[in-house]
Amino acid sequence: MEAHDITLLSFQIQEDTFAVDALQVDHILEVPTLITEVPNTPGFMKGVINLHGNIIPVVDMRIILDKENITNGADTSIIVLNPSEQQDARLGVLVDMVKEVIETKREYLKETVLEGKKGMIDAFEGTLVLNDEFIHVIDIKYLTEVVVK
Amino acid sequence: MIDKFRAKFVEESMDNLHDLEEALFLLEKDMENKELIERIFRAMHSLKGGGAMFGFNHLSDFTHHLETIFDWVRNNKLKVSTDLITLTFSAIDQINFLLKSGDLTKEEDLSNQKAFIHRIQSFLNVSNAAVAAAPLTSPADLPAEASDENTYLISFIPQKELLQNGTNPLYLLDDIHALGKATSIAYTHKVPSLELLDPSSNYCIWQIIVSTAESLNEIKDVFIFVEDECELHIDLIAGSAIVDQPDVKTLINKALTSNILLTTEDFKKEQWLQAGQTTVHEEKKKVAIKEHKIASMRVSSHKIDELVTLVSELVTIQAQLSLYAENNEDPTIVALTENIQKLSRQLRENAFDISLIPLQSELMRFQRLVRDLSKDQNKDIDFIIEGGDLELDKNIIENLTDPLLHILRNSIDHGIELPNERIAAGKAPKGTILFKAFHSGANVIIEISDDGKGIDPEVIQQKAIQKGLIEADAQLDKKEILDLLFVSGFSTRDVVSDVSGRGVGMDVVRRKIANIRGEVSIESEKGKGTLITIRLPLTLSIIDGLLVAVGSNQYVIPISAIDKIYALDPAQIKQTFNSVVVINAEQYPYIDLRKVFNEVEKESDEVVQMIMVKAEDKITGVIVDNVIGEYQTVVKPLGKYLKKQEIISGASIMGDGTIAMVIDTSRLLHNRKHKR
Repeated sequence: MEAHDITLLSFQIQEDTFAVDALQVDHILEVPTLITEVPNTPGFMKGVINLHGNIIPVVDMRIILDKENITNGADTSIIVLNPSEQQDARLGVLVDMVKEVIETKREYLKETVLEGKKGMIDAFEGTLVLNDEFIHVIDIKYLTEVVVK
Repeated sequence: MIDKFRAKFVEESMDNLHDLEEALFLLEKDMENKELIERIFRAMHSLKGGGAMFGFNHLSDFTHHLETIFDWVRNNKLKVSTDLITLTFSAIDQINFLLKSGDLTKEEDLSNQKAFIHRIQSFLNVSNAAVAAAPLTSPADLPAEASDENTYLISFIPQKELLQNGTNPLYLLDDIHALGKATSIAYTHKVPSLELLDPSSNYCIWQIIVSTAESLNEIKDVFIFVEDECELHIDLIAGSAIVDQPDVKTLINKALTSNILLTTEDFKKEQWLQAGQTTVHEEKKKVAIKEHKIASMRVSSHKIDELVTLVSELVTIQAQLSLYAENNEDPTIVALTENIQKLSRQLRENAFDISLIPLQSELMRFQRLVRDLSKDQNKDIDFIIEGGDLELDKNIIENLTDPLLHILRNSIDHGIELPNERIAAGKAPKGTILFKAFHSGANVIIEISDDGKGIDPEVIQQKAIQKGLIEADAQLDKKEILDLLFVSGFSTRDVVSDVSGRGVGMDVVRRKIANIRGEVSIESEKGKGTLITIRLPLTLSIIDGLLVAVGSNQYVIPISAIDKIYALDPAQIKQTFNSVVVINAEQYPYIDLRKVFNEVEKESDEVVQMIMVKAEDKITGVIVDNVIGEYQTVVKPLGKYLKKQEIISGASIMGDGTIAMVIDTSRLLHNRKHKR
């Protein structure tokens, strides 16, 4: 594998497809029956879950991306990210559906065209066009910074 | 591989350095103590040797110069002075730096190093001149006399395990031969037949007769690394070089054929010892007896953390099991569960005991700070430590160092006056800082008191008004005024001093101590001194907690913070307008957790559960929906995304896998006070 190869995990949020660096994904979970709410937190922070005895905070990606009519279905999942080089930084992300693992090269990424700010995220690593589908790659480091704020 | 050895060397050297520092402190009090000088010399010798072996060349070179100084001291060529001790203290810092950074590459560091070595050398030159002018008391050890050679009989009887530590005894013999003219006798009669021979054991005994101009200490130094693994006798047998004499040769041959070790008696007959010269008998009893047991061992803190985590997991699982056993009334399972519960409790207590380290390990830094700062500021301070052997959780100690250093700095910088000021105030010129640590119930208390000028409440109040922290006409009692010191952005000194004024005030001290679930309070009497009390939990990761329900969630309140629990008539609360509840004719403020957590208000006429929580000497009521019971819980961090969630200090996984959040009571009460 050459250095500029990247592996992505794509997921669906309503009609859009996004992706994150698959190497920083720790687990993919079904939504547990109970997400313990933490009081006095912003709306996107859904609460904490118990993952093998560890406490993992869970954020709702749909709220972060400013979507409406959020529904949880059978495909709704939590992607647990483990950002590299960061301590106690595991983070669960609620998405509508996890799709697939994509192997590609960094140079195929095009600059993401943004018309104003979409929810809380206004920077992407890039956009990959695959089979006429646009996959926006979320920068995990940027995402964690947004959540800490 | 070599990196691993290097890391090990650095770790061991840190211990050596620690030992060195400790010995130096003692030496400062007792400058004539030979044993201490020897200890210091040895520590340096190990650093030098190890440094060269593991590629810390600058370190080795640097320590060499330092070692020379102490070699002179050891041989009475140099007297211990305060200057020497100060020099050595700063040298320790340099060694520390060298250990951390390895060999220097930066130009700046190199020139610093050079300057330092120069300082050491000039120290030697000055003292050298002094020695030349007036020879010190014991001329016997001076080099002038050393041209007269002495002959020693060295009996080197190693233990079997000698080779297992990587020692090659032949190198030691080479070293001895390098000192002067020598003949070695190897006794091999203890070597077993081939089938019984263990190649990793040593069976040989050596005797060496050496004629040398070097001192006895030089000979002993050759064996410095193996002295615990052998029996070593060094005897002066003659006041001249006799190795080549035919009588000696005869003796050696006799010894080799008879396998009987030579003794000083053999040489006495030959009358080599001159009249008046007594046999110097130097014996180093081997420390280790045959059944040598290792009393303590070194384990990386990472492994201990892992053990504690695993035990914590076990406690959680065990709670699940207990729950299951309760629901399934199978007597076998119930009995088994009880046993497992007992075992896991013991295991937990054991694991936590292992993770405790004595406070002593950090105290050296404090002593050093007090010494350096008081010298800088020309203050005379007696630093007394009581209860240094008290043990605390490693994580607590790590987080405690900074706040303690800050408090001590404050005491020296602002508390203790200059000697003449103290005399003018009718005090002894020497100030005292007392550091006291002791157990109190489930807590550890650390008190730092000084007999300095104390804190003037007037000044604090004026300052707070000036900064807009309180109203100009606010009526505060003394305790409330002193509490202002902990409010962020408050500092009593206008000038930022090098010492305490680094923009870090008592507010940071309080916050850091709160992070390890501790509390800090201050008392002060103007003109008499200040007392700072820190109250800490014994361990961070497991607490006794009261499980309560608020809204849809469960929360844990640490039992240590709870005073009493009352069931109150709702009418008792609704009638008050100022959030005060009257219990037994006392008024207490109260907090409704439903309001704090933005839950819907409960409308019912049920009995209200109020938990009386004490923090910072005040008792406040906390209203919860339900008290569920007492649990021992493992506190887990919430991670960095929920750091801002101040009231909740962690979360805990219950037996059924659900999560309960742990409430930080002092933060809860504190936040409320400032919202008002």
